[in-house]
Amino acid sequence: MEKVCVLGAGSTKYGKLSDSIADITTQASVAAIESAGIGPKDIKASYISNVFGVADRQVHIGPVLMSRLGIPERPSLSIESACGSGSVAFREAFANIAAGFYDCLLATGVEKVTHTGTEWTTTYFAYCSDFFYEGQAGASFPGLFASMARAYLTEFDATEEDFAKVAVKNHDNGLLNPKAHMHKKITVDDVMKSAVVASPLKLFDCCPFSDGASSVILCSEKFAKEHGGDYIEVIGSGRGGSPAALQGREQLTTIPSTKIASEAAYKMAGLTPKDIDFAEVHDCFTIAEVVDTEDLGFFEKGQGVQAVREDRTKLNSDISINPSGGLKSKGHPIGATGIGQVVEVYDQLTGKAGERTVKDAKIGLTHNFGATGASCAVHIFQSV
Amino acid sequence: MSVEEQVIESAKQGKLLTHKCTNCGYLHLSTAYYCLKCGSKGFEDVLLEGTGTIATYTIITVAPAGFEKYTPYAFVVMLLDNSQLRISGFMAGIATPADLPVGIKAKITGFDERGIIIEKQ
Repeated sequence: MEKVCVLGAGSTKYGKLSDSIADITTQASVAAIESAGIGPKDIKASYISNVFGVADRQVHIGPVLMSRLGIPERPSLSIESACGSGSVAFREAFANIAAGFYDCLLATGVEKVTHTGTEWTTTYFAYCSDFFYEGQAGASFPGLFASMARAYLTEFDATEEDFAKVAVKNHDNGLLNPKAHMHKKITVDDVMKSAVVASPLKLFDCCPFSDGASSVILCSEKFAKEHGGDYIEVIGSGRGGSPAALQGREQLTTIPSTKIASEAAYKMAGLTPKDIDFAEVHDCFTIAEVVDTEDLGFFEKGQGVQAVREDRTKLNSDISINPSGGLKSKGHPIGATGIGQVVEVYDQLTGKAGERTVKDAKIGLTHNFGATGASCAVHIFQSV
Repeated sequence: MSVEEQVIESAKQGKLLTHKCTNCGYLHLSTAYYCLKCGSKGFEDVLLEGTGTIATYTIITVAPAGFEKYTPYAFVVMLLDNSQLRISGFMAGIATPADLPVGIKAKITGFDERGIIIEKQ
């Protein structure tokens, strides 16, 4: 297997963007190409993650991007895996370089939905559930995670205030990220007093709907060395699945795909959770971050809230969780999120993360899932 | 009738149609085409009483399209009696957590545009 590197990375700002989906896809891709110090003709193919292109009248974005980059003859593949699309696009590019099919690839994720309004997004996002059992019975995505939160509150020594602390931490981190959607310091009291969306989750327990695009250049080690510039190594990659509906899972407070994907990634990297310096995890809702940090092996089951209470997941504490601000504060353009996490790791491990730098970090992990964790991919990166 | 239509018809009778593996005996919801445990394809239809206890739920105030007129309502996950199976559904008339303690008895009572309908017993 070829060693795979990330040679460049770029993102648009996340938030409410006025430019078209094709424009922001191209802007992020150009930023990644320039960050890598390569030209577009070095790119042999692209993997494009997007879920609701239809909302901005552009599906099959790959060829549009490649045309704008001046490489229309190069192949592209559009990938949909709900909110986990980005990490799957990254994984496909990783696998193709590892297998030796290509030496340099572009992976770009994008979403443009905020112009559609909350009802459209709430309705269409629910189509990512196991619709016959969940969406059809009125479940929204906040509602499904709220069901996990209720189960967690029932099973473990946890409070809604504990969940609120996750939001406060991620907003603090997001304040240090110029590209974050939410630049707003909040308190536990703000979260507790915000409007209930799906009890026990309140507005500030939920990530925003965001527009945005993120892009990375993946290449072989040989290519990276020849082209100079800053690069990081991908040392672990894993994917996993879970029963699509919550009802089918053995435990309502565990996401099986996270465990399966992370165990595979740790095994490939020859590492354990203790070796990870920081992680970008899928915190679409505050409860998700708590569950993620347990399923990734950072804390015992039921202890994730204790870690939050003791500030052990803050920036430059025991393990920095979501230094970027996470989905909660950086924002969640669903097709872009998984790639955006890699952009953050690249910035962290190449000294470009500014005020939110995780000190002395050598190993970073990304964790991104689709829907309620029905699909998941985990990647582990190392500085060189 | 399709598999989903069969689930709907049984829900309208207050029952849940399930699939029992003829090879290993593992019980599934009837949308399963292969056994989760042994991978075999043979199933025997078993019609369960649609009764159980609430495993978890949420009360939805920001609803997907078509559900606005029902808010607040609960989306519930119910553990079926005498089984390891859970089933999700819609429960009307739930406004606060005090209305629906986890563990309370409930039952399937029908199916309509709100999916499988579950009510407190």
